[in-house]
Amino acid sequence: MSTVTTTPRFAPVFRAICGEKYVMEDPAELQAWNVLGVAPALAVTPASVDEVTNILRFANQHGLSMVPAGGFTQQQVGNLPQQIDVLLFTSRLTAVEHYDAGDLTVGIGAGCTVAQLSAMVAENGLFFAGDPAQPERCTIGGLLATGLYGPLRHGYGGLRDYCIGVRFVTGDGRKAKGGGRVVKNVAGYDMMKLFIGSQGTLGVITSASFKLFPAPRQTRTFVAVFSSAAEALEFRYHVLRSPLDPICLELVSPEAHKLLVPGSPAGAWWSICLRAAGSDAVLARYRTELGSAVVREIDGANERGFWRALEDFSPIAAERHPRSLSISMTLPVRDVQPVLSELAAVAESNRFAFAAIGRVGIGHLLVSLWQAPDAEVSMVSFVNVVSALRNHLLHDVSMAVLRCPSETRHHVSAWGPMPTDLESMRAVKMALDPKDVLNRGRFLF
Amino acid sequence: MLHLPVNLPGVVDHLRKIAGRDAVLDRPEDLMLYEYDAGIRKSTPGAVVFPQNTEQVSQIMRLATAESIAVVARGAGTGLSGGSIPQEGGIVIAFSRMNRILEVDVENQRAVVQPGVVNLQLSEHVSHLGLYFAPDPSSQKACTIGGNVAENSGGPHTLMHGVTVNHVTGVEVVLPSGEIVHFGGKAAESYGYDMTGFLVGSEGTVGITTAITVKLLRKPEKIATLLGVFESVDDAALTVSAITAAGITPAALEMLDGWTLRTVEAFCHAGYPLDAGAVLLIELEGLREAVEEQAIAVREVCLRQKAREVRRAKDEEERALLWKGRKMAFAALGRVTPSYYTQDGVVPRSQIPAVMRHIGNVAKKYDLIIGNIFHAGDGNLHPLILFDMRDAAQFERVLSASWEILEFCIQCGGSITGEHGVGMEKRDLMPLLFTEEDLDVMISLRNAFNGAGILNPQKIFPTPRMCREISGPTQNPVLMQEGL
Repeated sequence: MSTVTTTPRFAPVFRAICGEKYVMEDPAELQAWNVLGVAPALAVTPASVDEVTNILRFANQHGLSMVPAGGFTQQQVGNLPQQIDVLLFTSRLTAVEHYDAGDLTVGIGAGCTVAQLSAMVAENGLFFAGDPAQPERCTIGGLLATGLYGPLRHGYGGLRDYCIGVRFVTGDGRKAKGGGRVVKNVAGYDMMKLFIGSQGTLGVITSASFKLFPAPRQTRTFVAVFSSAAEALEFRYHVLRSPLDPICLELVSPEAHKLLVPGSPAGAWWSICLRAAGSDAVLARYRTELGSAVVREIDGANERGFWRALEDFSPIAAERHPRSLSISMTLPVRDVQPVLSELAAVAESNRFAFAAIGRVGIGHLLVSLWQAPDAEVSMVSFVNVVSALRNHLLHDVSMAVLRCPSETRHHVSAWGPMPTDLESMRAVKMALDPKDVLNRGRFLF
Repeated sequence: MLHLPVNLPGVVDHLRKIAGRDAVLDRPEDLMLYEYDAGIRKSTPGAVVFPQNTEQVSQIMRLATAESIAVVARGAGTGLSGGSIPQEGGIVIAFSRMNRILEVDVENQRAVVQPGVVNLQLSEHVSHLGLYFAPDPSSQKACTIGGNVAENSGGPHTLMHGVTVNHVTGVEVVLPSGEIVHFGGKAAESYGYDMTGFLVGSEGTVGITTAITVKLLRKPEKIATLLGVFESVDDAALTVSAITAAGITPAALEMLDGWTLRTVEAFCHAGYPLDAGAVLLIELEGLREAVEEQAIAVREVCLRQKAREVRRAKDEEERALLWKGRKMAFAALGRVTPSYYTQDGVVPRSQIPAVMRHIGNVAKKYDLIIGNIFHAGDGNLHPLILFDMRDAAQFERVLSASWEILEFCIQCGGSITGEHGVGMEKRDLMPLLFTEEDLDVMISLRNAFNGAGILNPQKIFPTPRMCREISGPTQNPVLMQEGL
């Protein structure tokens, strides 16, 4: 079901810009880099910001549709593209722009992976707070463009809190930047904010600067279990109102626990998993404050494995249940419980099972839904589940469908309603990418 | 192109119809109060209007757009970069009558406020709930949250908690067209472009904020305030990066040099040592056990870096006194100088010793007194250059000295402003930091919302605009043919 359009006239131009070796034209090879089944007509791998600029100027002049790509971990998210003229890989943009461990800042090329960056700064006892799924593949550019985060969002804030500078080329081919390399800086418009979570629709991010943190010397995870989501979420308030200052505070539903810890005894427990950093005295204080709800403590390699599995929740769930819905919701903290109740009701009435995890102290849920084993296989029911959930969305809640069975793609919008004025967002898009070169049709407009 | 409101009486009548008879000022003696902020520029508005609700702001914007009159929003006028200075003859929208806290949502730790709410009043209002609003500019007793949003204001505790943008999750905005729009809400983040994050710090050039949803933080269980006393600025400066390198993130880490602390001490008796070369005011907050451990670690680092002594505030009263000195510093300067000029440059933290030496050299070169009291933990300098406005030659030296300090900041990889904003004051420095194309992208965003330039003209972006930079011609024939 690929839609390959050949654009022979463009190939020599891209070869001239990037060199022959860095232009992919073989249809079979390109098919492997399809986006929701749509293969690109051509793929380029520029080596420098100037090459990216030339590519975008050309694409803009000719109204081509272009998809920027990092590690391809989130590339199947979004609405179905009609056609992809050019796929642009950032994999050669990996240079370190600045790094002084004493400043706790780093500037790095967009094509560097999160794992590479983390390993580099770990040598100096530092720590990059981004913890997306699949960090060995996820690139810095992709991380920013998709606005991804994991459990560490609770204690370290999001990208909008620790990304301090960004360089990019706009959809209309302007090479520009925002911010810089210092931790405090209000000169000029905050371009970082616009690019974080822009899904690659405003420009191609070529590098970014971040605040780093001192790596915690010791961490420990406390697992408290409850017989209902309501009780677990009440315990969350207990933690939020306490003086405790955990680095992660995660809700794990019973089905999610089964997915993440294979072979674990089946049960109906909802757990709150809290990760704390500090000395023995600090951890002892956590133990006292958390009390008897805690049934298990995890440390060392087991702890690292546990949180890594939580980070990888969406890909793990998708692998276990290939025909599933994957949903991400941002919401006010108080709405987590009503939204979970609604989710349970919608799942039950459509005969779906679901697994949910989330940063319940911040207001972020990741949910995977699949048809119950005894339910009749039905594509319509997937669409019904999404519309039922969207129909009941509370004020300030936004919900993205990250993944759905391919047959339902045409019937399920990836993004749905948002709390932010759509026309203002359109004005931003028109200012930076007036010809809609980047990720055409995949995001808001 | 904006022109002066030739039919100002008609405009004033219209403003009175919108906001009420007592809600518009247009007599010269009244307007004089709105011609300046806490910086050094002045410009007299044609009218000042005090709207009481969003709908009135919308009508004022419609009027201004129809009449091509420049508009600037004003909170308390405590800004230091000229952000709230009107265009000569333009309209000032003053928010002192939109000063209500609309909602406190304890479970979500959010408050919804009107822009005229005073920063400190919000923290006081929610204090009994164990909550507070984190951004704490030195002017927090007077400055408004609307102003904080426009300038993306900071304060000493931004080292741990970030600047205003890190604490705003939603805004209601009136666009130049008069349209009322909403960005974000109570959720920490949402899908779509982060328009809230973009609006905060846009210095009133994109839209006028009429309601703000802010985060409220829980007050820490324990606070420890330490004063490290050093023989020299150099020793204190080296200690700043040593504390960071030790893996400690203080809530605040402030430096006062010897000249400044003596001036402050004479004014408010904070208990600073009069013979020190510099002091570091270090605050730690969090869980009791963690704070105690960090306090020991900080003391060790300071002593290792040749601190003469490290004091710790015994109680809240001592803590308040140490902070009083810090927060009253600018007032204290008023006693020893007719005027002073504050800069807001930022350097990477490891460059603090170098930049402090540079500032010392600049002071000597231009024969000026420059005091230093600043947010050392995040490298945000506030050199205070003393001068007398009546001495024109001296003022020229002040501007040259200031320029040299900011140039040095930029050479170190820093910025021209950490928390005060660009405003009018630093707009001509922007080309040192940003390329023509960087600025061109930002201007295209401004024009997407404020194309006619009604909102806060003459701010942020340098004038006159030079012609657009064009990168060097390519040698490649294929690319030449394509016009690349």
